[in-house]
Amino acid sequence: MVPKVNWLSLVFLGPAILAVLLFFLAPVVMTGFFAFTNMSTSTGVSGGDYILGQGEIRELREEGLATSILDQIESAGYQVDDTGLIALAELTNQATADELRSLYEGVRFNNRRDMERALKNLQQNAIRSTRDRKAAAQLFKRSILNERYDTEVAFRTALAENNIPPEDHDTLVQKSYTGWTWTSKNFQLLFTLPSTWRYAINTFIYVGLTLTFSVGFGLFLAVTTFYLPEAQATTIRAIWFLPRILPPVLYVLMWRWFTWDTGFISTVTQWFGMDSKNWMLDTAYHAWVVIVLINGFVGTSMGMIIFASAIRSIPTAMLYAAEVDGANRWQQVRYIILPQLRWPILFITTYQTLSLLTSFEYILLSTDGGPGRSTEVWALAAFHTALNNYGGNLEYGLGAAFALALVLIGILASLLYFKLFNFRNLITKPLIEG
Amino acid sequence: MIIFRSFIAGSILALVATAVASQNYEITVWAGGSNDADSYRWEAIEIAADLLEREMAIHGEEINITVQSKGDFGNWGDFKQAVALAAEAGTAPHIVVTSHLDIAPWSEAGHIVPIEDYVDLDAWPLNDIYPNLMEIASFEGVQWGIPQDAESRPFFFWKDTLRGIGYTDAEINELPALVNDGSYTLANVLEDAKKAVEMGLVKEGYGFYPRVSNGPDFAQFYQSFGGELQDPETGNLVLDKAAMQDFYQFFVDAVAAGVTRKNHIGTDWGQWYNEVANGKAALWHGGTWHYARYTGQEGNDDFFGTIAFTLIPAGNDRGQANTITHPLVYLITDQEDDSAEEIAARLVQIASGPRLNSLHAIKSAHLGIAYQQSNVELYANDRWAAEATERLLATANSQPNHLGYGTYAEAMWKGLEASWTGAETPEEAVEQLEEELITKLGDAFIVR
Repeated sequence: MVPKVNWLSLVFLGPAILAVLLFFLAPVVMTGFFAFTNMSTSTGVSGGDYILGQGEIRELREEGLATSILDQIESAGYQVDDTGLIALAELTNQATADELRSLYEGVRFNNRRDMERALKNLQQNAIRSTRDRKAAAQLFKRSILNERYDTEVAFRTALAENNIPPEDHDTLVQKSYTGWTWTSKNFQLLFTLPSTWRYAINTFIYVGLTLTFSVGFGLFLAVTTFYLPEAQATTIRAIWFLPRILPPVLYVLMWRWFTWDTGFISTVTQWFGMDSKNWMLDTAYHAWVVIVLINGFVGTSMGMIIFASAIRSIPTAMLYAAEVDGANRWQQVRYIILPQLRWPILFITTYQTLSLLTSFEYILLSTDGGPGRSTEVWALAAFHTALNNYGGNLEYGLGAAFALALVLIGILASLLYFKLFNFRNLITKPLIEG
Repeated sequence: MIIFRSFIAGSILALVATAVASQNYEITVWAGGSNDADSYRWEAIEIAADLLEREMAIHGEEINITVQSKGDFGNWGDFKQAVALAAEAGTAPHIVVTSHLDIAPWSEAGHIVPIEDYVDLDAWPLNDIYPNLMEIASFEGVQWGIPQDAESRPFFFWKDTLRGIGYTDAEINELPALVNDGSYTLANVLEDAKKAVEMGLVKEGYGFYPRVSNGPDFAQFYQSFGGELQDPETGNLVLDKAAMQDFYQFFVDAVAAGVTRKNHIGTDWGQWYNEVANGKAALWHGGTWHYARYTGQEGNDDFFGTIAFTLIPAGNDRGQANTITHPLVYLITDQEDDSAEEIAARLVQIASGPRLNSLHAIKSAHLGIAYQQSNVELYANDRWAAEATERLLATANSQPNHLGYGTYAEAMWKGLEASWTGAETPEEAVEQLEEELITKLGDAFIVR
C-alpha cells in the first residue's frame, strides 16, 4: 500500500520543520563550513580584497621573489609625470598643473605625505581644501603599495599596468589576498594542541559529575516527595524548581555572593576563626564543586518534575499490592518505581548529556573557565576562541572546528544511549493497536 | 500681488534650497575599556561636532551632526566582539576608541579606513602629536588612527608598609632611581613583600598584589627578564623561552612565598582597587589612570604621601626596568557613505587638539598625546600628569602592531594562568606555549 501523504499535517508541521531548518540544520551546516576555513578577525567572514603592504613585501623577500620586482613595487611612489599633470589640469585647471610642473616636473616622492607637501607649495594656484589636495595627490600615485583592490581582476590589471612580469602575478595575488581560504589545519590544531586535550578531559569531568548529580538528586527528590503529603510535596518541588526558572545571571550572582571572599560562607567560617577565602576559585577542586552544584541544581529541577510525574502515572494498585505483600519503601522503590522510570531516566540522561555538552553559560558567568583554565570546558573554549577574548582575537574557523567536534560527539553519544537503553524496544508499537 | 507671489515662491525656493543644502550626519562613537572618568573619549567628539558645524557653516556648508555614543561595554572582550560582529554585519559605529593592537587585524579585514585619507597630518593639531605615538597608531607605513590618550604601567609601593619593614624616607625617595639603574630588582620585590607579610603589615597574599586579569601589564614582566616581543630586523614576533619561563617562575615563586594569592586571577576589580588604594597591599602594579580611581572613588586623599611609583623593576641581568604604554586610538570604520567617513575623521582631528585632549587626560589621569599640552594650564599644573609623563612615558615602549600578536598575547596569558594556579610548571607551560605558537603562527615566528 502506498502511504498516503497528508498535506494538511505537513502544513501543521511547517513551523516545526522551519524551526529545525533555521535553528538546527542551518547552524550545523554553517559550522561545518566555517570549520574548514581559516576565518578570523583579520580575514573577515565575507571574503577579502587584494592589498600589498610592507608586511607582504617583506615576506615575499624572505620567500625569494626577485628583489628587483619588489623594489620596483616599493619605490614606485608618487611621480610628477605627464599623465598625472594632464589629469590634474582636468581636475583643477591648466595653471595649477603648469605651476606644479615648473616646481616638480619629473620628481618622485616616496609617500603620499611628501606628495601632499609638494602640492601645498603651490603659491599662485594653491589648492585650499584638504579633500581636493588628497584627490590631486592620488592622481600621481604610481605605486600599488597599500592600494586596496576589490577583485582579483582589478589587482591583476594593476600589476600588468605596473609592468610586473606575468609569471609573478600568481604569487602576488595569493600573497595579497586578505580573505579566508579553505584549510583543514583547524582539525590538525585540535589534535595537536595540548590545551584541547585538557578541555576534553574537563568536559568529561563536567558532564559526568553534573549528570550523575542531577539525575541522582532529581530521582531522590521525586521519590521522597512522592511519599509526602501533597501540599508539602508541592511546596518542596516549587522550591527546588527555583534554580531552573531564575535568570542565569541572577542565579549565578547569588552563588557568587555565597562563595566570594567577603561572601556568606567566608563570613560564617570567620566566626570560627577560619581565614576568609574565595570558595569558588580557591583551587580547581573548589571550582569544580561549585560548577557541578550550580549546573546540577538546574538539572535536578528538570529531572525532579519529569520523574515525579512519571511516578504518579504508576498505577497505585501495584504499590498497594506490594505493601500487602510486605514490601518496605526501599523495596517498592527498587522493584516497582525505578524499573518503570526507565524511559524518563533515559530521556533525562540523554537530554542532559547533550545539553551539558553544549552549555557553558553558567560556567562563563561563574568561573569563566578559571582558575587557570581548570574549568574551561569544550563549549566554553569554542566560545572564547571564536567570539570572546581579551585581545579580540576572534578565530571563527578554529572555534567552528571546536563546535563541529561537539556536534559529532553529541550524535555519537545519542546513538550510544539509544543502544544502551534499548531504544528500539521502547518505541515499539503496542501489539494491541497493530 | 505679483510681488507677493514672487515673495512666496522665493521663500519656498529658499526653504527647499536650505533643506537640500543642510546635510544630516548621525555619527556613532563606541569606546572600549572605559569607565565614568573616561567620558571625554566621546564627549570630545560631541564638542568637536559643534566646532565642525560652525567651521563648515562659514564655508557655506550647512551640516547637522548628531553624535551617538556608547561607552558601557562589559569588558574588552565584549567590546571587541561587538565591534567585529557589527563590522561584519555592516553596522559598525563610525568612530571606535580602542587598543592600537586592533589596527593590524581590523585593517586587514577592511573594517577600518586609514585616517590619513581624510585629514592633513601636517596640519594642526595632528602635527603636534608625539611622533612615537603617531607611529603606534600606524601599521605598515599607513596612518590608520590617531592616538586618543597615552598611559604607562608603573609599579606601586605603599609607603607606610615600606617604612614598617625598615625603609627610611630617603630610601623610599631613592627607589625610582634604584629601579631605573637595575639595582632594585624583582628579587627585591619578593623579599620586601615577604617581609611585609611576615611582619603582619599586610595579610598573606597581599605582599605583591598584581593585576587580576589579562592585560598588557604582564608583557612588562617578560621584558623585565630580557624578553623581546618583536624582532626589530624582520618584524617577526619573538618567543624568548628563557625569559618567558623566568617570568612565569616569578609569579610561581610569589605564590610559594605566600606574598601573592594562588587564586588571585579573577578577583573582583572593585575589591582590588579598594584594597590597593587603601594600603591593604604592600607592592603592586597598575596603570597611570589608576590615580583617578585611587584619589576619586576609593577616597585616597594623599596619593603622593602614601604611594611611591617606579618603572617595573628588572628581573635579572638580561632584562631591564621598563614600562609599556598602551595608547588607545581613534579609528574610522569603513562605511557605505564616504562623506560620513570624512566627517568622522575631521571630528577626530578636532578632538585631538591639546585643550580637548587635556580634558580627558586630566579627568581620567591619562597622559597627554601632544607637545602643546604642557602649555595648557589644566594639564601643566597637574602634578600627576607632569611626573608620570616625565618619569614613565619617556622610557615606555609598546606592544607590536602585528597580525599574530592577538594569538601570541592570548597564549602567553594562558601559560601564565596555568603556572600561577599550579596547573602546570613554568617549564611545561612554556613548552606548550611554544608548540601552540609554532602551530598557529608558522614560519614567521622566532623562538630563542
